Amino acid sequence: MGHLKGALDVVLGLVIFCIAWQLVFWAKVYPPYLLPSPAAVLDRLVAMAQSGQLGLGIEVTLGRLLAGFSISVLLGLGVGLAMVNFSRFGRVMNSFSLGLQSFPSIAWVPFAILLVGLNDLGIVFVMVVASVFSMMASTYAALRNIPPIYVKAARNMGTKGLALFTGVLLPASLPSLVTGLRQAWSFAWHALVGAEILMATVGLGALLEFGAEFVRMDQIIASMITIFAIGLVADRLVFSVVEERVRSSRGLTTQTR
Amino acid sequence: MTVPPPQMAMKGLAEELPGSLDTPPPRILVVENLRKRFVQTNGRRREDLVVLDGVNFSMAEGEFVTVVGPSGCGKTTLLNIIAGMEASDWGTVTLNGRRVSSPGTDAVMIFQEDALFPWLTVTENVSFGLRNREVGGAERERIASEYLEMVQLGRFANSYMHQLSGGMKQRVAIARALAISPRILLMDEPFGALDYRTREILQAQITSIHEKTRKTILFVTHDVREAVSLGDRVLLLSGRPSRIKREYIVDVPRPRSADDPQIQRVIGRIVEDLKEEVSFGSPGEVVASSED
Repeated sequence: MGHLKGALDVVLGLVIFCIAWQLVFWAKVYPPYLLPSPAAVLDRLVAMAQSGQLGLGIEVTLGRLLAGFSISVLLGLGVGLAMVNFSRFGRVMNSFSLGLQSFPSIAWVPFAILLVGLNDLGIVFVMVVASVFSMMASTYAALRNIPPIYVKAARNMGTKGLALFTGVLLPASLPSLVTGLRQAWSFAWHALVGAEILMATVGLGALLEFGAEFVRMDQIIASMITIFAIGLVADRLVFSVVEERVRSSRGLTTQTR
Repeated sequence: MTVPPPQMAMKGLAEELPGSLDTPPPRILVVENLRKRFVQTNGRRREDLVVLDGVNFSMAEGEFVTVVGPSGCGKTTLLNIIAGMEASDWGTVTLNGRRVSSPGTDAVMIFQEDALFPWLTVTENVSFGLRNREVGGAERERIASEYLEMVQLGRFANSYMHQLSGGMKQRVAIARALAISPRILLMDEPFGALDYRTREILQAQITSIHEKTRKTILFVTHDVREAVSLGDRVLLLSGRPSRIKREYIVDVPRPRSADDPQIQRVIGRIVEDLKEEVSFGSPGEVVASSED
Protein backbone atom coordinates (compact mmCIF):
# COMPACT_ATOMS: atom_id res chain seq x y z
CA MET A 1 0.00 0.00 0.00
CA GLY A 2 2.69 2.45 1.08
CA HIS A 3 4.97 1.38 -1.75
CA LEU A 4 2.22 1.84 -4.32
CA LYS A 5 1.53 5.34 -3.11
CA GLY A 6 5.25 6.15 -3.19
CA ALA A 7 5.51 4.87 -6.76
CA LEU A 8 2.52 6.98 -7.74
CA ASP A 9 4.20 10.07 -6.33
CA VAL A 10 7.35 9.34 -8.34
CA VAL A 11 5.31 8.99 -11.55
CA LEU A 12 3.47 12.22 -10.81
CA GLY A 13 6.78 14.01 -10.26
CA LEU A 14 8.12 12.69 -13.57
CA VAL A 15 5.02 13.77 -15.46
CA ILE A 16 5.28 17.32 -14.09
CA PHE A 17 8.98 17.39 -14.95
CA CYS A 18 8.33 16.24 -18.54
CA ILE A 19 5.60 18.83 -19.02
CA ALA A 20 7.95 21.58 -17.85
CA TRP A 21 10.67 20.24 -20.15
CA GLN A 22 8.26 20.18 -23.11
CA LEU A 23 7.21 23.78 -22.36
CA VAL A 24 10.84 24.95 -22.31
CA PHE A 25 11.38 23.07 -25.60
CA TRP A 26 8.36 24.80 -27.20
CA ALA A 27 9.54 28.18 -25.94
CA LYS A 28 12.66 27.63 -28.08
CA VAL A 29 15.00 28.93 -25.38
CA TYR A 30 17.70 26.63 -26.74
CA PRO A 31 18.14 25.20 -30.27
CA PRO A 32 16.69 21.65 -30.59
CA TYR A 33 20.13 20.02 -30.97
CA LEU A 34 21.12 21.37 -27.54
CA LEU A 35 17.79 20.71 -25.87
CA PRO A 36 15.82 17.97 -27.65
CA SER A 37 12.18 17.28 -26.80
CA PRO A 38 11.24 14.48 -24.38
CA ALA A 39 9.88 12.52 -27.35
CA ALA A 40 13.20 12.80 -29.24
CA VAL A 41 15.12 11.56 -26.19
CA LEU A 42 12.71 8.66 -25.80
CA ASP A 43 13.23 7.79 -29.48
CA ARG A 44 16.98 7.84 -28.98
CA LEU A 45 16.66 5.70 -25.85
CA VAL A 46 14.67 3.10 -27.77
CA ALA A 47 17.14 3.21 -30.66
CA MET A 48 20.09 2.75 -28.29
CA ALA A 49 18.31 -0.16 -26.67
CA GLN A 50 17.55 -1.77 -30.04
CA SER A 51 21.10 -1.41 -31.29
CA GLY A 52 22.36 -3.18 -28.17
CA GLN A 53 24.50 -0.17 -27.28
CA LEU A 54 22.50 0.53 -24.13
CA GLY A 55 22.34 -3.09 -23.01
CA LEU A 56 26.09 -3.46 -23.36
CA GLY A 57 26.66 -0.22 -21.47
CA ILE A 58 24.43 -1.30 -18.61
CA GLU A 59 25.99 -4.73 -18.48
CA VAL A 60 29.57 -3.46 -18.34
CA THR A 61 28.74 -0.75 -15.84
CA LEU A 62 26.86 -3.08 -13.52
CA GLY A 63 29.69 -5.61 -13.75
CA ARG A 64 32.21 -3.01 -12.62
CA LEU A 65 29.82 -1.85 -9.93
CA LEU A 66 29.39 -5.33 -8.56
CA ALA A 67 33.14 -5.99 -8.57
CA GLY A 68 34.10 -2.70 -6.95
CA PHE A 69 31.29 -2.70 -4.42
CA SER A 70 31.95 -6.28 -3.32
CA ILE A 71 35.65 -5.59 -2.83
CA SER A 72 34.78 -2.48 -0.81
CA VAL A 73 32.31 -4.30 1.37
CA LEU A 74 34.58 -7.25 2.15
CA LEU A 75 37.61 -5.06 2.72
CA GLY A 76 35.63 -2.55 4.76
CA LEU A 77 34.08 -5.25 6.95
CA GLY A 78 37.44 -6.94 7.52
CA VAL A 79 39.34 -3.77 8.34
CA GLY A 80 36.42 -2.47 10.41
CA LEU A 81 36.47 -5.63 12.49
CA ALA A 82 40.23 -5.34 12.97
CA MET A 83 39.72 -1.73 14.03
CA VAL A 84 37.38 -2.84 16.79
CA ASN A 85 39.74 -5.56 17.95
CA PHE A 86 42.87 -3.42 18.00
CA SER A 87 41.77 -0.22 19.62
CA ARG A 88 44.79 1.91 18.72
CA PHE A 89 44.67 0.84 15.09
CA GLY A 90 40.96 1.55 15.24
CA ARG A 91 41.38 5.10 16.48
CA VAL A 92 44.03 5.92 13.89
CA MET A 93 42.12 4.33 11.01
CA ASN A 94 38.89 5.94 12.07
CA SER A 95 40.11 9.52 11.80
CA PHE A 96 41.94 8.55 8.60
CA SER A 97 38.78 7.01 7.13
CA LEU A 98 36.56 9.89 8.10
CA GLY A 99 38.98 12.27 6.41
CA LEU A 100 39.27 10.23 3.23
CA GLN A 101 35.53 9.71 3.10
CA SER A 102 35.02 13.33 2.11
CA PHE A 103 37.89 13.29 -0.39
CA PRO A 104 36.39 13.81 -3.90
CA SER A 105 36.50 10.45 -5.63
CA ILE A 106 37.24 11.98 -9.03
CA ALA A 107 40.51 13.29 -7.64
CA TRP A 108 41.74 9.71 -7.47
CA VAL A 109 41.48 9.32 -11.26
CA PRO A 110 44.93 10.67 -12.29
CA PHE A 111 46.52 8.61 -9.54
CA ALA A 112 44.68 5.49 -10.72
CA ILE A 113 45.52 6.06 -14.40
CA LEU A 114 49.24 6.21 -13.71
CA LEU A 115 49.50 3.59 -10.99
CA VAL A 116 46.90 1.02 -12.01
CA GLY A 117 46.26 1.81 -15.65
CA LEU A 118 43.65 3.23 -17.97
CA ASN A 119 41.48 0.11 -17.82
CA ASP A 120 38.75 -1.67 -15.89
CA LEU A 121 41.08 -2.31 -13.00
CA GLY A 122 41.80 1.40 -12.73
CA ILE A 123 38.07 2.16 -12.68
CA VAL A 124 37.43 -0.46 -10.01
CA PHE A 125 40.32 0.98 -8.02
CA VAL A 126 38.73 4.43 -8.04
CA MET A 127 35.42 2.97 -6.89
CA VAL A 128 37.02 1.01 -4.09
CA VAL A 129 38.99 3.92 -2.68
CA ALA A 130 35.89 6.07 -2.99
CA SER A 131 33.72 3.75 -0.92
CA VAL A 132 35.92 1.54 1.23
CA PHE A 133 36.68 4.19 3.83
CA SER A 134 33.03 4.90 4.38
CA MET A 135 32.46 1.17 4.75
CA MET A 136 35.29 0.90 7.29
CA ALA A 137 34.06 3.83 9.33
CA SER A 138 30.47 2.61 9.38
CA THR A 139 31.46 -0.97 10.23
CA TYR A 140 33.60 0.36 13.05
CA ALA A 141 30.80 2.54 14.36
CA ALA A 142 28.19 -0.21 13.96
CA LEU A 143 30.24 -2.75 15.89
CA ARG A 144 31.17 -0.31 18.62
CA ASN A 145 27.58 0.71 19.14
CA ILE A 146 26.38 -2.79 19.94
CA PRO A 147 24.87 -2.75 23.44
CA PRO A 148 27.56 -4.38 25.62
CA ILE A 149 24.85 -6.36 27.38
CA TYR A 150 24.37 -8.54 24.27
CA VAL A 151 28.02 -9.53 24.23
CA LYS A 152 28.00 -10.07 27.97
CA ALA A 153 24.93 -12.30 27.79
CA ALA A 154 26.35 -14.29 24.87
CA ARG A 155 29.71 -14.84 26.57
CA ASN A 156 27.86 -15.88 29.69
CA MET A 157 26.13 -18.56 27.63
CA GLY A 158 29.47 -19.86 26.43
CA THR A 159 29.56 -18.13 23.01
CA LYS A 160 32.96 -17.00 21.79
CA GLY A 161 35.20 -16.60 18.76
CA LEU A 162 33.61 -16.93 15.34
CA ALA A 163 30.25 -17.93 16.82
CA LEU A 164 30.20 -14.68 18.76
CA PHE A 165 30.90 -12.76 15.56
CA THR A 166 28.36 -14.47 13.32
CA GLY A 167 25.78 -15.12 16.03
CA VAL A 168 25.82 -11.83 17.90
CA LEU A 169 28.10 -9.07 16.62
CA LEU A 170 26.97 -9.27 13.00
CA PRO A 171 23.21 -9.51 13.59
CA ALA A 172 23.32 -6.97 16.41
CA SER A 173 25.00 -4.40 14.17
CA LEU A 174 22.98 -5.26 11.06
CA PRO A 175 20.62 -2.25 11.11
CA SER A 176 23.52 0.21 11.12
CA LEU A 177 25.55 -1.99 8.78
CA VAL A 178 22.78 -1.85 6.19
CA THR A 179 22.76 1.93 6.43
CA GLY A 180 26.53 1.84 5.99
CA LEU A 181 26.20 -0.42 2.95
CA ARG A 182 23.74 1.94 1.40
CA GLN A 183 26.07 4.86 1.87
CA ALA A 184 29.07 2.94 0.55
CA TRP A 185 27.01 1.90 -2.46
CA SER A 186 26.16 5.50 -3.15
CA PHE A 187 29.83 6.53 -2.97
CA ALA A 188 30.83 3.66 -5.26
CA TRP A 189 28.12 4.49 -7.78
CA HIS A 190 29.09 8.18 -7.94
CA ALA A 191 32.75 7.29 -8.35
CA LEU A 192 32.00 4.72 -11.04
CA VAL A 193 30.16 7.08 -13.36
CA GLY A 194 32.81 9.74 -12.90
CA ALA A 195 35.62 7.30 -13.56
CA GLU A 196 33.85 5.89 -16.62
CA ILE A 197 33.53 9.34 -18.17
CA LEU A 198 37.26 9.83 -17.85
CA MET A 199 38.63 6.32 -18.20
CA ALA A 200 36.28 4.04 -20.14
CA THR A 201 35.37 3.26 -23.72
CA VAL A 202 32.31 1.18 -22.85
CA GLY A 203 29.74 1.66 -20.11
CA LEU A 204 27.16 4.27 -19.27
CA GLY A 205 29.75 6.89 -18.37
CA ALA A 206 31.43 6.32 -21.74
CA LEU A 207 28.07 6.79 -23.50
CA LEU A 208 27.78 10.17 -21.79
CA GLU A 209 31.27 11.12 -22.84
CA PHE A 210 30.68 10.10 -26.48
CA GLY A 211 27.44 12.06 -26.46
CA ALA A 212 29.40 15.17 -25.51
CA GLU A 213 32.13 14.35 -28.06
CA PHE A 214 29.61 14.12 -30.94
CA VAL A 215 27.21 16.77 -29.61
CA ARG A 216 24.39 14.23 -29.23
CA MET A 217 22.35 15.77 -26.45
CA ASP A 218 19.61 13.14 -26.96
CA GLN A 219 22.16 10.41 -26.21
CA ILE A 220 23.47 12.29 -23.18
CA ILE A 221 20.02 12.72 -21.69
CA ALA A 222 19.03 9.14 -22.54
CA SER A 223 22.15 7.87 -20.73
CA MET A 224 21.46 10.17 -17.79
CA ILE A 225 17.95 8.76 -17.53
CA THR A 226 19.37 5.23 -17.50
CA ILE A 227 21.85 6.14 -14.77
CA PHE A 228 19.09 7.80 -12.78
CA ALA A 229 16.88 4.72 -13.14
CA ILE A 230 19.60 2.33 -11.97
CA GLY A 231 20.28 4.49 -8.93
CA LEU A 232 16.60 4.72 -8.14
CA VAL A 233 16.01 0.99 -8.49
CA ALA A 234 18.99 0.09 -6.32
CA ASP A 235 18.16 2.57 -3.62
CA ARG A 236 14.37 2.26 -3.53
CA LEU A 237 13.88 -1.37 -4.42
CA VAL A 238 16.97 -2.96 -2.90
CA PHE A 239 18.47 -0.98 -0.07
CA SER A 240 15.43 0.68 1.41
CA VAL A 241 13.47 -2.58 1.28
CA VAL A 242 16.26 -4.49 3.03
CA GLU A 243 16.69 -1.70 5.55
CA GLU A 244 12.98 -1.54 6.25
CA ARG A 245 12.73 -5.29 6.68
CA VAL A 246 15.68 -5.44 9.08
CA ARG A 247 14.38 -2.55 11.11
CA SER A 248 10.75 -3.62 11.29
CA SER A 249 11.60 -7.17 12.41
CA ARG A 250 13.23 -5.58 15.45
CA GLY A 251 10.51 -3.07 16.12
CA LEU A 252 12.76 -0.19 15.09
CA THR A 253 10.38 1.12 12.48
CA THR A 254 8.68 4.46 12.95
CA GLN A 255 6.15 3.81 10.21
CA THR A 256 2.62 3.07 11.29
CA ARG A 257 1.37 -0.17 9.85
CA MET B 1 1.69 -26.68 45.71
CA THR B 2 3.27 -28.74 48.44
CA VAL B 3 4.90 -27.42 51.53
CA PRO B 4 8.60 -28.24 51.59
CA PRO B 5 9.83 -30.13 54.65
CA PRO B 6 11.10 -27.60 57.17
CA GLN B 7 14.78 -28.32 57.49
CA MET B 8 15.47 -26.25 60.52
CA ALA B 9 12.07 -26.47 62.05
CA MET B 10 10.85 -23.81 64.40
CA LYS B 11 14.13 -21.98 64.30
CA GLY B 12 12.47 -18.80 63.11
CA LEU B 13 15.16 -16.39 62.19
CA ALA B 14 18.70 -17.09 63.12
CA GLU B 15 21.10 -14.27 62.73
CA GLU B 16 24.80 -13.84 62.39
CA LEU B 17 25.75 -17.39 61.65
CA PRO B 18 29.39 -16.65 60.89
CA GLY B 19 30.56 -18.75 57.97
CA SER B 20 28.03 -21.52 58.81
CA LEU B 21 30.37 -24.05 60.36
CA ASP B 22 27.72 -26.75 60.75
CA THR B 23 27.82 -27.10 56.99
CA PRO B 24 25.31 -29.46 55.51
CA PRO B 25 26.91 -30.89 52.35
CA PRO B 26 27.20 -30.51 49.43
CA ARG B 27 28.21 -26.91 48.88
CA ILE B 28 27.70 -25.97 45.26
CA LEU B 29 29.12 -22.46 45.55
CA VAL B 30 31.85 -21.30 47.89
CA VAL B 31 32.93 -17.65 47.89
CA GLU B 32 36.02 -16.99 49.95
CA ASN B 33 37.52 -13.71 50.97
CA LEU B 34 36.59 -11.91 47.77
CA ARG B 35 38.11 -8.49 47.28
CA LYS B 36 37.74 -6.15 44.36
CA ARG B 37 38.76 -2.60 43.79
CA PHE B 38 38.43 -0.29 40.87
CA VAL B 39 40.70 2.55 39.91
CA GLN B 40 38.60 5.59 39.33
CA THR B 41 39.84 8.67 37.55
CA ASN B 42 38.24 11.63 39.19
CA GLY B 43 39.45 14.60 37.19
CA ARG B 44 43.23 14.33 37.47
CA ARG B 45 43.16 12.27 40.65
CA ARG B 46 43.24 8.53 40.48
CA GLU B 47 41.38 6.94 43.31
CA ASP B 48 41.20 3.41 44.48
CA LEU B 49 37.63 2.42 45.05
CA VAL B 50 37.35 -0.69 47.14
CA VAL B 51 34.06 -2.32 46.26
CA LEU B 52 34.27 -5.75 47.84
CA ASP B 53 36.32 -6.18 50.95
CA GLY B 54 36.39 -9.80 51.98
CA VAL B 55 33.09 -11.38 50.99
CA ASN B 56 32.51 -14.88 52.34
CA PHE B 57 29.52 -17.14 51.91
CA SER B 58 28.51 -20.45 50.48
CA MET B 59 25.41 -22.04 49.06
CA ALA B 60 23.99 -25.52 49.21
CA GLU B 61 22.66 -27.26 46.14
CA GLY B 62 19.08 -26.21 45.46
CA GLU B 63 19.18 -23.25 47.80
CA PHE B 64 17.53 -19.92 46.99
CA VAL B 65 19.64 -17.12 48.45
CA THR B 66 18.92 -13.43 48.07
CA VAL B 67 21.35 -10.55 48.53
CA VAL B 68 20.35 -7.04 49.57
CA GLY B 69 22.45 -3.99 50.20
CA PRO B 70 22.58 -0.24 49.70
CA SER B 71 22.91 0.88 46.10
CA GLY B 72 26.43 1.01 44.76
CA CYS B 73 27.61 -1.61 47.22
CA GLY B 74 28.95 -3.93 44.56
CA LYS B 75 26.15 -6.45 44.20
CA THR B 76 26.54 -6.57 40.44
CA THR B 77 30.31 -6.84 40.74
CA LEU B 78 29.86 -9.81 43.05
CA LEU B 79 27.67 -11.59 40.50
CA ASN B 80 30.06 -10.73 37.68
CA ILE B 81 32.92 -12.32 39.57
CA ILE B 82 30.92 -15.45 40.35
CA ALA B 83 29.98 -15.71 36.66
CA GLY B 84 33.64 -15.37 35.68
CA MET B 85 32.97 -12.17 33.74
CA GLU B 86 35.26 -10.14 35.96
CA ALA B 87 38.39 -11.09 37.87
CA SER B 88 38.70 -10.53 41.59
CA ASP B 89 41.82 -8.99 43.10
CA TRP B 90 41.89 -11.45 45.93
CA GLY B 91 39.96 -14.50 47.05
CA THR B 92 38.35 -17.37 45.23
CA VAL B 93 35.03 -18.51 43.85
CA THR B 94 34.55 -22.26 43.73
CA LEU B 95 31.58 -23.47 41.75
CA ASN B 96 30.73 -27.13 41.65
CA GLY B 97 34.20 -27.99 42.91
CA ARG B 98 36.05 -25.94 40.33
CA ARG B 99 37.64 -22.52 40.63
CA VAL B 100 35.94 -19.93 38.48
CA SER B 101 38.30 -17.91 36.30
CA SER B 102 36.43 -17.42 33.03
CA PRO B 103 32.82 -17.32 31.90
CA GLY B 104 31.22 -20.72 31.68
CA THR B 105 27.78 -22.17 31.42
CA ASP B 106 27.78 -23.46 35.00
CA ALA B 107 26.68 -20.03 36.16
CA VAL B 108 24.23 -18.12 34.00
CA MET B 109 23.13 -14.57 34.66
CA ILE B 110 19.79 -12.88 34.26
CA PHE B 111 20.12 -9.14 33.97
CA GLN B 112 17.93 -6.24 34.90
CA GLU B 113 18.34 -4.72 31.45
CA ASP B 114 16.88 -6.30 28.41
CA ALA B 115 19.60 -8.70 27.26
CA LEU B 116 17.52 -10.69 24.79
CA PHE B 117 18.48 -10.62 21.14
CA PRO B 118 16.00 -8.57 19.10
CA TRP B 119 16.95 -10.27 15.83
CA LEU B 120 15.79 -13.68 17.05
CA THR B 121 12.37 -15.07 17.85
CA VAL B 122 11.46 -16.09 21.37
CA THR B 123 12.26 -19.75 20.64
CA GLU B 124 15.57 -18.89 18.99
CA ASN B 125 16.50 -16.75 21.97
CA VAL B 126 15.73 -19.52 24.42
CA SER B 127 17.73 -22.08 22.45
CA PHE B 128 20.64 -19.70 21.78
CA GLY B 129 22.88 -21.08 24.51
CA LEU B 130 22.44 -24.59 23.16
CA ARG B 131 24.09 -23.64 19.86
CA ASN B 132 27.43 -24.16 21.56
CA ARG B 133 26.54 -27.71 22.50
CA GLU B 134 26.36 -30.90 20.55
CA VAL B 135 22.60 -30.65 20.40
CA GLY B 136 20.62 -31.16 17.20
CA GLY B 137 18.14 -28.61 15.91
CA ALA B 138 15.05 -30.62 16.78
CA GLU B 139 16.32 -31.32 20.27
CA ARG B 140 17.15 -27.66 20.76
CA GLU B 141 13.63 -26.71 19.83
CA ARG B 142 12.17 -29.32 22.15
CA ILE B 143 14.19 -28.01 25.10
CA ALA B 144 13.28 -24.42 24.24
CA SER B 145 9.58 -25.19 24.12
CA GLU B 146 9.79 -27.10 27.38
CA TYR B 147 11.16 -24.06 29.20
CA LEU B 148 8.85 -21.69 27.39
CA GLU B 149 5.96 -23.74 28.70
CA MET B 150 7.47 -23.49 32.16
CA VAL B 151 7.32 -19.69 32.03
CA GLN B 152 3.92 -19.91 30.30
CA LEU B 153 4.99 -18.27 27.07
CA GLY B 154 4.39 -21.18 24.72
CA ARG B 155 1.99 -19.08 22.68
CA PHE B 156 4.69 -16.53 21.93
CA ALA B 157 7.27 -18.96 20.56
CA ASN B 158 7.52 -17.16 17.22
CA SER B 159 7.21 -13.58 18.42
CA TYR B 160 10.00 -11.05 18.39
CA MET B 161 11.18 -9.17 21.45
CA HIS B 162 9.55 -5.87 20.58
CA GLN B 163 6.19 -7.62 20.61
CA LEU B 164 6.57 -8.60 24.27
CA SER B 165 6.02 -6.63 27.45
CA GLY B 166 8.77 -6.07 30.00
CA GLY B 167 7.57 -8.87 32.25
CA MET B 168 7.31 -11.30 29.35
CA LYS B 169 10.85 -10.46 28.29
CA GLN B 170 12.17 -11.30 31.72
CA ARG B 171 10.32 -14.61 31.58
CA VAL B 172 11.99 -15.35 28.24
CA ALA B 173 15.32 -14.47 29.85
CA ILE B 174 14.61 -16.93 32.65
CA ALA B 175 13.71 -19.65 30.14
CA ARG B 176 16.87 -18.89 28.15
CA ALA B 177 19.02 -19.26 31.25
CA LEU B 178 17.30 -22.46 32.38
CA ALA B 179 17.62 -24.04 28.93
CA ILE B 180 21.39 -24.16 29.35
CA SER B 181 20.78 -26.09 32.60
CA PRO B 182 23.38 -24.21 34.63
CA ARG B 183 24.37 -25.33 38.11
CA ILE B 184 23.43 -21.94 39.45
CA LEU B 185 21.22 -19.08 38.30
CA LEU B 186 22.57 -15.61 39.02
CA MET B 187 19.84 -12.99 38.99
CA ASP B 188 20.87 -9.35 39.03
CA GLU B 189 17.82 -7.31 40.06
CA PRO B 190 15.86 -9.06 37.35
CA PHE B 191 12.53 -7.50 38.27
CA GLY B 192 13.90 -4.07 39.16
CA ALA B 193 12.56 -2.37 36.04
CA LEU B 194 9.07 -3.84 36.21
CA ASP B 195 5.91 -2.35 37.63
CA TYR B 196 4.64 -3.51 40.98
CA ARG B 197 1.96 -5.88 39.74
CA THR B 198 4.23 -7.58 37.18
CA ARG B 199 6.91 -7.95 39.82
CA GLU B 200 4.56 -9.88 42.06
CA ILE B 201 3.59 -12.20 39.25
CA LEU B 202 7.21 -12.86 38.37
CA GLN B 203 8.15 -13.40 42.00
CA ALA B 204 5.45 -16.04 42.23
CA GLN B 205 6.70 -17.57 39.02
CA ILE B 206 10.35 -17.77 40.03
CA THR B 207 9.25 -19.33 43.31
CA SER B 208 7.32 -22.03 41.54
CA ILE B 209 10.17 -22.61 39.08
CA HIS B 210 12.49 -23.06 42.02
CA GLU B 211 10.08 -25.54 43.58
CA LYS B 212 9.86 -27.45 40.32
CA THR B 213 13.48 -27.49 39.22
CA ARG B 214 15.28 -27.18 42.58
CA LYS B 215 17.75 -24.95 40.79
CA THR B 216 20.30 -23.16 42.95
CA ILE B 217 19.51 -19.43 42.72
CA LEU B 218 21.48 -16.42 43.86
CA PHE B 219 19.22 -13.40 43.57
CA VAL B 220 20.39 -9.82 44.02
CA THR B 221 17.91 -7.04 44.74
CA HIS B 222 17.66 -3.73 46.54
CA ASP B 223 14.08 -4.47 47.52
CA VAL B 224 14.04 -5.94 51.02
CA ARG B 225 10.48 -7.23 50.72
CA GLU B 226 11.40 -9.08 47.56
CA ALA B 227 14.53 -10.52 49.14
CA VAL B 228 12.65 -11.85 52.16
CA SER B 229 9.66 -13.19 50.31
CA LEU B 230 11.85 -15.13 47.86
CA GLY B 231 14.91 -16.41 49.68
CA ASP B 232 15.64 -19.33 51.97
CA ARG B 233 18.33 -17.04 53.27
CA VAL B 234 18.96 -13.33 52.89
CA LEU B 235 22.49 -11.93 52.89
CA LEU B 236 22.89 -8.28 53.79
CA LEU B 237 25.85 -6.58 52.15
CA SER B 238 27.25 -3.57 53.93
CA GLY B 239 27.88 -0.29 52.14
CA ARG B 240 31.14 0.11 50.27
CA PRO B 241 33.67 -1.37 50.93
CA SER B 242 31.24 -4.28 51.15
CA ARG B 243 31.26 -7.48 53.06
CA ILE B 244 28.45 -9.73 54.23
CA LYS B 245 27.18 -7.93 57.24
CA ARG B 246 24.52 -10.29 58.36
CA GLU B 247 22.58 -13.34 57.33
CA TYR B 248 18.89 -14.00 57.94
CA ILE B 249 17.25 -17.36 57.59
CA VAL B 250 13.69 -17.16 56.37
CA ASP B 251 12.14 -20.39 57.46
CA VAL B 252 8.66 -19.82 56.12
CA PRO B 253 6.98 -22.34 53.86
CA ARG B 254 6.05 -21.35 50.34
CA PRO B 255 3.89 -19.98 48.87
CA ARG B 256 4.49 -17.09 51.17
CA SER B 257 2.34 -14.12 51.88
CA ALA B 258 3.91 -10.73 52.38
CA ASP B 259 1.54 -10.27 55.35
CA ASP B 260 2.95 -13.27 57.18
CA PRO B 261 4.06 -11.95 60.60
CA GLN B 262 7.35 -13.79 60.44
CA ILE B 263 8.16 -12.36 57.01
CA GLN B 264 7.21 -8.93 58.33
CA ARG B 265 9.54 -9.39 61.28
CA VAL B 266 12.53 -10.27 59.10
CA ILE B 267 11.78 -7.35 56.80
CA GLY B 268 11.69 -5.07 59.85
CA ARG B 269 15.07 -6.27 61.08
CA ILE B 270 16.74 -5.90 57.71
CA VAL B 271 15.33 -2.43 57.21
CA GLU B 272 16.68 -1.45 60.66
CA ASP B 273 20.12 -2.89 59.90
CA LEU B 274 20.15 -1.27 56.50
CA LYS B 275 19.32 2.13 57.98
CA GLU B 276 22.22 1.85 60.36
CA GLU B 277 24.41 0.85 57.46
CA VAL B 278 23.54 3.90 55.42
CA SER B 279 23.79 6.43 58.25
CA PHE B 280 27.03 5.05 59.62
CA GLY B 281 29.35 7.08 57.43
CA SER B 282 29.18 4.51 54.71
CA PRO B 283 29.73 6.20 51.37
CA GLY B 284 27.20 3.84 49.83
CA GLU B 285 24.33 6.19 49.19
CA VAL B 286 26.41 9.27 48.65
CA VAL B 287 28.77 8.04 45.96
CA ALA B 288 26.19 5.69 44.59
CA SER B 289 25.25 7.91 41.68
CA SER B 290 28.73 7.81 40.14
CA GLU B 291 28.94 4.08 39.79
CA ASP B 292 26.74 1.13 40.42
